[in-house]
Amino acid sequence: MEVLKLAAPETVLVVIALAVLAVDLLALRGQPVSMRFGIGAAVAGLGCAATMLMLLGRHAHANLFDGMLVVDPLTNVVKAAIVLLTLFTVLISTAGKFTEHVGEYLALILLATVGMMFLVSAEDLLMIFISLELLSLSLYVLTAFNKRNIKSAEAALKYFLFGGMAAAFTLFGLSLLYGMSGSTNLHRIAEGLAGKGMDPLLIVAVVTTLIGFGFKVAAVPFHLWAPDAYEGAPTPSAAFIATGSKVASFFILAKIMMIGFAGAEGSAAWRTFISGWMPAMALLAALSMVLGNLTAIAQTSLKRLLAYSAIAHGGYMLLAVMANNEAGMAGLLYYVITYGLATLGAFGVVQVVEDATGNDSIISFTGLSRRAPALSLCLLVFLLSLGGIPPLAGFFGKFFVFSAAVGADGNHLGLLWLVILAIAMSAVSFYYYLRVLKAAYVADGADVTQATNMMAVPVATLAALVLLAFLVVILGCAPALLMGLLQAGDQVGH
Amino acid sequence: MNWIVQYLWLIPALPLVAAGIIAVSKQPHRKLAASLAIGSMGLGFVLSLMAFLATLGHHGEHGQFREVYNFNWLQFGGQWLQLGWVLDPLTAVMLMMVTFVGSLIFIFSIGYMAHDQNFTRFFCFLSLFAAGMLGVVIANSLLLLFISWELVGLTSYLLIGFWYHKPSAAAAAKKAFITTRIGDMGLLLGMVWLYAQSGTLLFYDGGKGCLENDALVRMVAQTAATGMAVTTAIGLLIFLGAVGKSGQLPLHVWLPDAMEGPTPVSALIHAATMVAAGVFLVARVFPLMEVTLDSLAGNADGLPSTALQVVTWVGALTAFFAATIAVAQNDIKRILAYSTVSQLGYMMMGLGVGGVAIGMFHLITHAFFKALLFLGSASVIHGCHEHQDIRFMGGLKKFMPVTFLTYAIGMLALAGFPLFFSGFWSKDEILHAAHGWSVSHWPFYLGCAGALLTAFYMTRQVALVFFGSYRGGHSHSSHRSGSDLKSADTSAHSKEPHESPAVMTVPLIVLAACAVLLGFLGTPWWPAFQGYLGQHHGSAGGVVPLMVGSTLIVFAGLGLGWWLYAKRQRKTADEPDVLEVVRPDIFALLRNKYFFDEAYEKTVIALHAWFARACDFLDRWVWGGAVMLVSAITVGLSWLYRATDEFVVNLGFDAGCKGIRQGGDGLSKLHTGRVQNYLRVIGVALVVLILFLVWGRKA
Repeated sequence: MEVLKLAAPETVLVVIALAVLAVDLLALRGQPVSMRFGIGAAVAGLGCAATMLMLLGRHAHANLFDGMLVVDPLTNVVKAAIVLLTLFTVLISTAGKFTEHVGEYLALILLATVGMMFLVSAEDLLMIFISLELLSLSLYVLTAFNKRNIKSAEAALKYFLFGGMAAAFTLFGLSLLYGMSGSTNLHRIAEGLAGKGMDPLLIVAVVTTLIGFGFKVAAVPFHLWAPDAYEGAPTPSAAFIATGSKVASFFILAKIMMIGFAGAEGSAAWRTFISGWMPAMALLAALSMVLGNLTAIAQTSLKRLLAYSAIAHGGYMLLAVMANNEAGMAGLLYYVITYGLATLGAFGVVQVVEDATGNDSIISFTGLSRRAPALSLCLLVFLLSLGGIPPLAGFFGKFFVFSAAVGADGNHLGLLWLVILAIAMSAVSFYYYLRVLKAAYVADGADVTQATNMMAVPVATLAALVLLAFLVVILGCAPALLMGLLQAGDQVGH
Repeated sequence: MNWIVQYLWLIPALPLVAAGIIAVSKQPHRKLAASLAIGSMGLGFVLSLMAFLATLGHHGEHGQFREVYNFNWLQFGGQWLQLGWVLDPLTAVMLMMVTFVGSLIFIFSIGYMAHDQNFTRFFCFLSLFAAGMLGVVIANSLLLLFISWELVGLTSYLLIGFWYHKPSAAAAAKKAFITTRIGDMGLLLGMVWLYAQSGTLLFYDGGKGCLENDALVRMVAQTAATGMAVTTAIGLLIFLGAVGKSGQLPLHVWLPDAMEGPTPVSALIHAATMVAAGVFLVARVFPLMEVTLDSLAGNADGLPSTALQVVTWVGALTAFFAATIAVAQNDIKRILAYSTVSQLGYMMMGLGVGGVAIGMFHLITHAFFKALLFLGSASVIHGCHEHQDIRFMGGLKKFMPVTFLTYAIGMLALAGFPLFFSGFWSKDEILHAAHGWSVSHWPFYLGCAGALLTAFYMTRQVALVFFGSYRGGHSHSSHRSGSDLKSADTSAHSKEPHESPAVMTVPLIVLAACAVLLGFLGTPWWPAFQGYLGQHHGSAGGVVPLMVGSTLIVFAGLGLGWWLYAKRQRKTADEPDVLEVVRPDIFALLRNKYFFDEAYEKTVIALHAWFARACDFLDRWVWGGAVMLVSAITVGLSWLYRATDEFVVNLGFDAGCKGIRQGGDGLSKLHTGRVQNYLRVIGVALVVLILFLVWGRKA
């Protein structure tokens, strides 16, 4: 019974997923797609809202089955953030025209969310792997959901193959870990590895584990799937992959590294490299920041641009993992959650524009400020937040992450070189964000006919986007709202 | 905690929201804009009244009501940055004054700005200003105060340059902004230093704030570079901010030019509220300014702190010099502007010699009668078809009776006419305190001379504007421009001046009533105001002779002005001034404001221009070249990456895609395409990473 009680939010979501499926298949056959989407989204949205309330309302501390299911305030906050992102994803999908299989689509989104929630709660390798697979499989299918578009299928297949390969490496790494430490619990693994030094087997384990999660968070060079998947997948699916899944993956990556590989950090400080997960991760972070930002400059499709910017942001967030302390954890979560809100919003805008103009190239954003003023204002907020302009949430995310990395205990400014690189690269990122905004606000007048027609913006989507923009602004003006929760959770959790 | 303390933030938040809504509403929505702005101010006044009542009843531990509400704003490292607001008598008095005078001026503006095309923008800026000003007033953190302070500076800039198509207005706006920035630099430095020393920017924090005993004891014991106490150095830096904002010597040059803005703006911002913010700032950090080792030791007879001495001297000199300049001006608003500078000097002097209550009392009474005078001048300007030169006016008494009566009350209050007007009581307090100052008697003499001049120039102004016969219309050709925007359509030669509509005269009457009545709150025999601000009046001894003396001074000024300007009215507008005939050299010096602007032009600005050119050269050729080089490299690299991504990585895959489209056995080709390229990367990465770590292990 205790399992049911502690896993109640997850259970509710599973039930809701099945309910959405049932309602859609039994009651709404033959109705127009928009109505089915409306009703399905309403049910799913209510379920998400109820789950969030349950998560934020409880204060339990529990650790079931030796780390299979850990419930504490911090995981509750992270799960609530994931469910919130899911809720917004559902809201921006409602206007979608990419599928008739509404029930299946919504149910898959909810099931993927359940996967993320279990992932967040897990401190055991087996559970981590299983929930990772539940999440990944749902996401593969979501990527392929636009059956009329060949690119969607192609993207899904790439994603799937890449993901399968990465999962195989992960499993290999995890099995090595089990072999070396004799346990699948993260704390126990750290105990088992203590004092063994970096023997080659451990190096292989570290690297293969990193590959698996590097794939999930799209760190260079495991990012190759991301631009294709984001571009080919239906926009709400891409948004979901880029946001909710990122939150869960970064949280668990940080947990594995900070808890499981405690003692095998090594050092990534300038000129004093010591073997361990830190230097490997530093390499991935540096590559991600440089390659993500520079390649984004040359993109013409906004979804691909967001994909490369996501890779770059992943690089910044790896910095927070490397801080390897509570401030780093809190900073990482603040960053990934606010990044999720802004990115989800940006994808929402892309979705509307794509529906109206037929493609997502930057040219189709020309004159958006005149065609849809509210929409372009939202886009402005999201992109400036991603760029890190104060007083938007993205600025404080960067601030917390960079200050955690600089001030990381025991490193004595060792990560300064990475932080300097990150700041220089985030300056580069303004270039491509502002290029989009320039198209939206400073129209060239090349498309006069297109630029004068007002654009129809679905009400539910617009409401969701305005709400997201509002959240981004609020969290930027009062970062303590979220940071307080994260730190309170963190301090109790450790 | 009192609920009103918790919700004190509503007072600035209301106009802020109003400004936001007005900003996004369309230009023709005039009614919406005006009613939102006035409504938010009115509601703010009601809340301020409640806050005021809350401070009346209760008394805190030091005999004075003070409650704070602090909250965490953001964290860096292990420290939380806290902001908050405070409710104490100082806050309550300022809140009442700002919201009340503000409401009246907002109402007046409906009439004054009725024909302006950018009516809604005007009210948006006004509301934003009110939000900033009220933020300054309630702030319990120097940081929050600074943020609001800068907001106020910005809106002042926007409103001075409201008619930005007039080059003089645009220049005046820039001048005001840049000049006050110089002061703000000091404030910022002081703030940083204060934080470094005390570790907090909260004023009051239950014993841990930077104005409370612990922090003061700690800071006063340390000495800065030149041997003065750290508190004195920080106090002086903060005072520099106040000097800029309150137009004290030598940063007073922007305030007279700021009269280029619409006259209600001059009344609200450059007479009643914003320029008083500097005085308020000094009053707010007064504990920091006054603390010395002597005073901490309980020795009340020691010399006042260096910071307060500087405040006193700057104030006294400003009070005197600005009054002399006002004597020789001809623009009705400029006379008032110099008189404002002079009165602000009095306030500073009052703070320096007598403490918070005396300076603040003059601030409050001045706010009312100076707002009254400015609005009266606006009414005059409105009635005279946008003329501002007093030589072209005259005899307006019979055309504008209401304006005349209220203006006369304001003028008598400013001049310090005995017994019935508030200005008399508040100025007398300052002179009395100056008389008893232990350091020097010179501020007292300067103050007395300033009082004489004030009575003199105000009589001159009233005599030229309201008495005699109307001189406008005759010599229109020689009219010197320098007036408001709408001077273009003053082609009406023979039009007579007219009285203003009720929406303008009613606020005048209300302000006039306040200008009279407020004085009775602070007489030496019933010092209600001073008692409320927590400062009990010192010895009342020697008050009466001093009062008789200052009365004689005021009468001398009034009589002299009357004899020179009203008895012998000038016939035409072009006649030289009486004083100009007697001593043309001194008069020219005064008319040209001691050539302050020219001196700045030759020295500071010239130096700055040279430096700017040097920087420009550096920027254009040295840094610019470097940036171009870096950007070229960046763009090149990104193209390289793109090419790699597209041609090397995706090429095989694209070949596969083509196969699918052609209906061939796509899947298998697709398969080989991707696996061979994408997955190969994983393998390479695995090997490279492992080698990297193994290499690291050996090193």
